[in-house]
Amino acid sequence: MHPLLRSFEKLRPKFEEGGPLRPLWPVYEALETFVFTPATTTSGPPHVRDALDMKRYMITVFYALIPCILFGMYNAGFQYHRAAGMAEAPLWAHLLRGARLVVPIIVTSYAVGGFWEVLFAAVRKHEINEGFLITGILFPLTLPPTIPLWQVAAGITFGVVVAKEIFGGVGFNVLNPALASRAFLYFAYPAQMSGDAVWIAAPAGHGLAEGVSGATALAVAKSAPAGVDIVAHLAEAGHTLRSMTLGLEPGSLGETSAVAVLLGMAVLLVTGVGSWRIIVGGLLGLALTAGSINLLPAGTLQAYPILALPFWYEMVMGGALFGIVFMATDPVSAAATNEGKWIYGFLIGALTVVVRLFNPAYTAGNMLAILFMNAMAPLIDYAVLRAHVANRARYLERGRRA
Amino acid sequence: MGAQRKISGSEPLFVIRRGRDVPLSGAPEASVAAEPVSGPVAVQPLWVRGMKPRPMVAVGDRIRRGTPLVYDKRDPDFRLCSPVAGWVRSIDFGPRRILQRVVVEPDGADEVEPFAKATAGELERMPGDEILGRLRSSGMLSLIVERPFSRMPRRDSKPKSIFVNAMATAPFQADPLLIASQETDAIATGLAALRRLTAGPVYLCAGSGRDLPQRIAGAGGVTLARFSGPHPSGNSGVHIHHLDPIRPGEHVWTVRLADLALIGKFLLEGAMPGWRLVALGGPGVAEGRACHYRVPWGVALSAWLPARLAAGEMRVVAGDALSGTAVAPDGFLPPWASSVTVLPEDRERHLLAWANPLDGRFSFSQTFVSAWRRGGAWPLGTSLQGAPRAMVATGLYDRYLPMRIRLDFLIRAVLARDWEEAIQLGILELEPEDVALAAFACPSKMDLVGIIREGLAMAEAEGL
Repeated sequence: MHPLLRSFEKLRPKFEEGGPLRPLWPVYEALETFVFTPATTTSGPPHVRDALDMKRYMITVFYALIPCILFGMYNAGFQYHRAAGMAEAPLWAHLLRGARLVVPIIVTSYAVGGFWEVLFAAVRKHEINEGFLITGILFPLTLPPTIPLWQVAAGITFGVVVAKEIFGGVGFNVLNPALASRAFLYFAYPAQMSGDAVWIAAPAGHGLAEGVSGATALAVAKSAPAGVDIVAHLAEAGHTLRSMTLGLEPGSLGETSAVAVLLGMAVLLVTGVGSWRIIVGGLLGLALTAGSINLLPAGTLQAYPILALPFWYEMVMGGALFGIVFMATDPVSAAATNEGKWIYGFLIGALTVVVRLFNPAYTAGNMLAILFMNAMAPLIDYAVLRAHVANRARYLERGRRA
Repeated sequence: MGAQRKISGSEPLFVIRRGRDVPLSGAPEASVAAEPVSGPVAVQPLWVRGMKPRPMVAVGDRIRRGTPLVYDKRDPDFRLCSPVAGWVRSIDFGPRRILQRVVVEPDGADEVEPFAKATAGELERMPGDEILGRLRSSGMLSLIVERPFSRMPRRDSKPKSIFVNAMATAPFQADPLLIASQETDAIATGLAALRRLTAGPVYLCAGSGRDLPQRIAGAGGVTLARFSGPHPSGNSGVHIHHLDPIRPGEHVWTVRLADLALIGKFLLEGAMPGWRLVALGGPGVAEGRACHYRVPWGVALSAWLPARLAAGEMRVVAGDALSGTAVAPDGFLPPWASSVTVLPEDRERHLLAWANPLDGRFSFSQTFVSAWRRGGAWPLGTSLQGAPRAMVATGLYDRYLPMRIRLDFLIRAVLARDWEEAIQLGILELEPEDVALAAFACPSKMDLVGIIREGLAMAEAEGL
């Protein structure tokens, strides 16, 4: 027996029924099965089982997020140094500085969210669910690097408790908890979640260096004066297609780099953990909607330059790609039927563009689109299921003999 | 859904795309072991659903092969008969004094109780009721399954069609081609009898590979339908769904080829068959022992298995590894079992295996390297490979069920006890075995088989 397993076996009775630490059983159970796969055998048919379990499923999403996490750290450090006029610092310096900015946010998210998870698991006598592994990291990746830690704590508390646990926990929630957390902060503390000042963590007491703007590409596009060429206007402010694709941009921690998101997307698609229908549907919805808005009469496009934004800009700007790949594909809050996933994904893409282009107040089009579609997903599934039942009835009748 | 209908010649061919074969190691060879198996046998009324068994013999009675041992209090014409000659060793009752089994010790002399004989030609002119009467009085009727609710055909049952299953895609089942080649006469006789039992068609559902003997494949009045593709393309539920789906209020009968051989043999020879061909397979079987055995019907497993298993703690499953029933090593072979799959009890704990990208366990999921190299056989054990969780992943189950059924939603309807919805979503077309592959793959380790079984039982109790 593995020596570590032996120490677990020794500790176990303390947490079992009648032991002094009984209320903490979920913590013990989570920890033990985290380290060693459980010894449980099947109790009936099927007598053999596939090796895929929820832990494997969730850790794969985590692995897919690693490029975004690492790049987010690097970018936060890079933006810090750039603001201080030290953009030429070596890569490791950016990464280190970024880690100092980002790690506390991630740790706060996991610690506070984890506390609520454990509390609810202990009270409900449930196992601790692996889904939190993902919520706890997705949420920080949607935040600006300047976010106060107490707001991180408040946000994740809202997401875990209100968006998930009061509905019955993982598998029963309507909204994506990470996104609900972000939406809570977005509306409760707009000063720290929006505007031009929050996206770059500048050194204390330092303003932004000469020529450095903290505005995101989306904000720049939104405020473009009538008559300008939107692409040139963005480039003037430092937002080129290249910079937005690579992601060296002010913005939320994990969302700025299209390359990092695409790497994660590849992992999700190759392993089959993320629904390709939602992702393809989302990208199609985004491209077709933005593309058809580009076809509006030239006069309208002149008056509102943002409407002329090409769809590939829409895709790499802001959190759209990150949201479609990592948030929309959360299977619990998404549509469950295959046809429903297409509709759900497509509408998320389309609504993202609509909110971005036509809503004067909020730039966070993708977040709102996904949350709205989270709420609509059961309706989509209901419609698909009714069509399925009708289709089944037709199939059964087709073969009826006279 | 997930299937394409093609016509090759006059036979329909269904190409099933959804599903996966489970590459379990220790597949039984298509040969029959020479060594004879003998030992005590049990007649087990507990396996006949809905029967109220009453004993007809006492301990110590001498009996012949074919002597009725148990009758049904609700239907006294229905009897279960001894497959061997010998004496009654014990009559075992279970909880609430329900008769579990009558154990018979063979004494070597093969005295036979005669039943009426009939050739295939005679059966073709015989009224269906007379054939049914013979099957009922010998207990052979319990080898025919009425669907929905997989029960023994009721007295007033008028099946709209009968499905003979000559396929074996689950790991493992008796090889239908081997049985067909050994029992050609019996099966041809059985097919002739089935034709008299329904006004509708009799379908013979076979794989697309090697061929059945012409006397079976070309039997008059029988429609041959071919299915190709991975498991569960060999399940009767899939055959019925594609050929003649069950609508609410209708029912069909199914018979496996291995069981039809016994029925045919009984009708042809006018004597209770004493043994059946049973496939023994699985990673828990000793080297070179995985093949077919001629074993007394209902034999004590202790008389057959011990010398043929590998060392270690094993689970003996009557039937296949996906949908079979675990039986105690000191128990008896269930009468319906045409295969026994032996699996090592696997309680091994792996360090951080779930997080290891190169983890080497078997999975259908591309999150494991094993999914990337097809082929090979895996010595799968009984580990649950995780812990039960809430239903999270969606759309996964439907990849393993080639029918117009959305299993995610059907399962939810059953869990919510919404019978109207469950029936609309197709629960009456399913048997627990049909969802076993989806349960195998379920990352939340849900008991889909149990949920469907319970759902069907409740629907049956509600009289739906």
